[in-house]
Amino acid sequence: MADLNTITQALIAGDKDQVTGLVQKAVDENVAANKILNEGLIKGMDIVGDRMQEGDMFIPEVLMSARAMSAAVAILKPLLGEDESVVTGKVVIGTAKGDMHDIGKNLVSMMLESAGFEIIDLGVDVAPEQFVQAVKDHQAQIVGLSALLTTTMPMMQTTIDALKQSGVREQVKVLIGGAPVNQEFADKIGADGYAPDAGSASKLAKQIMS
Amino acid sequence: MDQFFHRMGDGSAVQMTAKQIMADLVEGSEDAADRGKIPPLAKEEYDYLLDIFCSPHKFISVEPGREVILTYDAATLKIRRVGVHVDRIQALQIYEKIMGADTMELAHVDYSYKPVKPIATFEQPILEQALLATHIPLFYGAQPNLGLYSQPDGPFPNPSELMPMGKIKEAQESYEAALEDLVKDIVFVGSLMYESGADGINLDTAGAAGDADFLATLIATEKLKAKYPDICIEIGMAGEFVLGMHSQLTYKGERLAGMYAHQQVKMAEAAGATIFGPVSNTNTSKSAAWNLARAITFMKACGEIANIPIHPNMGMGVGGVTVNDQPPVDVVSRSSAAMTTLCRLDGL
Repeated sequence: MADLNTITQALIAGDKDQVTGLVQKAVDENVAANKILNEGLIKGMDIVGDRMQEGDMFIPEVLMSARAMSAAVAILKPLLGEDESVVTGKVVIGTAKGDMHDIGKNLVSMMLESAGFEIIDLGVDVAPEQFVQAVKDHQAQIVGLSALLTTTMPMMQTTIDALKQSGVREQVKVLIGGAPVNQEFADKIGADGYAPDAGSASKLAKQIMS
Repeated sequence: MDQFFHRMGDGSAVQMTAKQIMADLVEGSEDAADRGKIPPLAKEEYDYLLDIFCSPHKFISVEPGREVILTYDAATLKIRRVGVHVDRIQALQIYEKIMGADTMELAHVDYSYKPVKPIATFEQPILEQALLATHIPLFYGAQPNLGLYSQPDGPFPNPSELMPMGKIKEAQESYEAALEDLVKDIVFVGSLMYESGADGINLDTAGAAGDADFLATLIATEKLKAKYPDICIEIGMAGEFVLGMHSQLTYKGERLAGMYAHQQVKMAEAAGATIFGPVSNTNTSKSAAWNLARAITFMKACGEIANIPIHPNMGMGVGGVTVNDQPPVDVVSRSSAAMTTLCRLDGL
């Protein structure tokens, strides 16, 4: 009999082969795909996010868990019905114009993807108008903006202004992150949220969509 | 309500009430307690800190008899950095004879063991002359600086490039291979300098490149100690927290990633270090009160558990001191006095 808790533990350990093996076994034993997803995998990624936030798990381990999650989701996707889609919401994400630093942004993307979000990753050095266009094209619910440099922080404000001017600001929530920014800055520029790390970003995005 | 002169962590001047200062002291200490899973400060400690922050005096000190050793890392570099054009031996003499330093460190401008290795035999006669020209215990020191061992600066694949490609195992293996070379370089340079008469070897900013950097420091310490049982080794940390860049490395069965000062010191002890230099970093957007209470909470926990002397790092951006090129004397003296008064320590 498939034990979903074992899947959760293997996911936290970042053991991709074990996770995919256990997920396949659970599927073979006719455990519902959405049950495996919600009670085994997403539960595991929530714990990974919490532990990262607490400083008990670090980037390499989070990446291993995220990779195991992606492989497991690939097994489940064809088995999930239309109403059981893994997609929690759509996120357009990128680093602010002028900022080439993407490690944090990539980690947030992975955590969000593992939490069931569809990610439209615009990469680095993203102009405000590119964010606007992507929101329109993909009907995204969330925009994720990242900056590592104090010199690129003002572009976050410019991007929010561009979303306002193009009339799509009301349809999206803007979340910001990166070393030089904080909640105070998020409030100042009119962002909807700030997350200090990838685990918190995933939690915050889920709160927004719930 | 009375307003008191205060500073933010970036050194900027602000006015705060006693109530605001106290609130920041409590919040700063609780932040450290929460992160380190250690006790926050007690009421009388908050009261002492409030007193010194509300004092109208520019300079604060300790009671006679409570003075501690003052030691300096990389000072032969710092004096030239501020435009005083003296050579390294003269710099050591200035610190010793004019500024009252209790121990000093001779360092090369590259300040990492890897670049010092090929010029170590040129450093030895300078160390020997410096020892003859000074009286205080003289260390030779540099940074472990594991970052210099990965491409493009070194031979090993760069973990920061491998990880985003999903090559996590390969990134971890690269750290493991690099740390072996780092250990060899530290032992090589440390041995030469000790045999030239250095009173100690300083491994400064240990853990700067994360847990693999810290592990290399510990293993090198262990090896030097095995080779020279009487050697004095100081391990000074790079930051308050060991970053899990590899994330799964252990020493004596303990995982290094995520360790704070009170856990790091036990590793330094186990490796055979003689002195440990713990760190608490300054947050520039919080007040000096917040930063100092937080720093003291970390250092107090470290000092209470330590079985070897500890010399907390005090200076720009560490130990509750603000981030200024020339840290203001009001903040440096308050932080130093509070650290010495409230913590069990042996030097700064």
